[in-house]
Amino acid sequence: MKDNKIVQLALVLFAVCAVVAGVLGVVYNITKPTIDRRAMEKTTAAFAAVLQADSYEEVKISGYSLDQSINSVYKDADGSGYVVESTFSGAQGNITMVVGVKSDYTCSGISITEHSETSGLGAVAASPSEAGVAFREQFIGVGEGVTVKDIDALAGATITSTAVTNAVSTSITTVKTIEGGAAA
Amino acid sequence: MRIQDQFRDGLITNNPITVQQIGMCATMAITTSLFNGVGMGLSVLIILTCCNVVVSAVRKIIPNEIRLAIFVVIIAGFVTIVDLLLKAYIPALSESLGVFIPLIVVNCIIIGRAEAFSQKNDVKASFFDGVFQGLGYTMILVIMCVIRELLGSGRFGGGLIDVAKGFRFTLDGTGGGIQIFPSDFGASILTLPFGGFLTLGVVIATMQYFLKKSAKQKKAAEEAAAEAARLAAEQEED
Repeated sequence: MKDNKIVQLALVLFAVCAVVAGVLGVVYNITKPTIDRRAMEKTTAAFAAVLQADSYEEVKISGYSLDQSINSVYKDADGSGYVVESTFSGAQGNITMVVGVKSDYTCSGISITEHSETSGLGAVAASPSEAGVAFREQFIGVGEGVTVKDIDALAGATITSTAVTNAVSTSITTVKTIEGGAAA
Repeated sequence: MRIQDQFRDGLITNNPITVQQIGMCATMAITTSLFNGVGMGLSVLIILTCCNVVVSAVRKIIPNEIRLAIFVVIIAGFVTIVDLLLKAYIPALSESLGVFIPLIVVNCIIIGRAEAFSQKNDVKASFFDGVFQGLGYTMILVIMCVIRELLGSGRFGGGLIDVAKGFRFTLDGTGGGIQIFPSDFGASILTLPFGGFLTLGVVIATMQYFLKKSAKQKKAAEEAAAEAARLAAEQEED
């Protein structure tokens, strides 16, 4: 009798989970194309925002290794610079951003594509608000080795500001490594 | 239970934040702009109403021993649906609220109302409970957003109202809001988490003051009525 009860409970819970999972599957399939399209648009817009170019081609890395935080590197087809995508850990989770690097090894702009920073604090770094734009624009023209002391960090979001600064510096180093590697 | 009573309960006498004091973590974290406050409030309202209705509809067929597990599965299901829909159709809100949308799964308002109300009441009452508790939650969020935004950065309606090109509402979170005084004069501490605690404390204290006052008045009125009735009875006896 007692065994029956346990089996019955398990079956009920299984049935509820199955129904919920089914509904979620349907909603996921309906929203997936829209979410994917938005992600694509965002990446394209982010690339264009940091380094204007007609087309980007991915740089294949072989024979040497890059910093672990670097996800991928794209080269501007015209040769005016690179776009580096990297992931650094922020205050609440990972911050994924793209950094444009010109051929003179200075930053041409940054754009944060994914993050989970605190709303109103670290999230300002990625927001389209005035403060967010001002924060990102100060990276234009900075070179390798920039530290968080060189920029105006966001109030209450030192860890986010540091992560973004590190990403910019590491991206520039990466481009130097690649250029050096290509020459060698 | 009458709808008017439920309405008053949800918004004032049994408000989820100021009286039940549940779901306060997200409250303090996201009330930095009106856009966030309204978005979070409405998300919770929709999830709460859906969960209340479903929990109430299945309350007689789910075994008591595993009811909490089932509630959590139902809540997680609705939260994920809302999360996906926001990502697809209001991405700015999804980005702005970040992790706090998935965190609604563990928001005690939802499981609290499922446990305290909808598992004991019928579908209709549970539906209105969800709507009114959600409205009560939204109301407090909006009050906190307005206070923190105004005193912290001298603005009103950040993200939601755009006055740069004439007055209009924006849904992509780009609106700058109405600048009431220059943000340099704002106490920016109020936009930090610490300011969230301060504001919430003041809001709860104010609400409790008026609740106590009206309760006292009610009691005084009842006593006066009882006294009058007693006097009338005495006079009749004379």
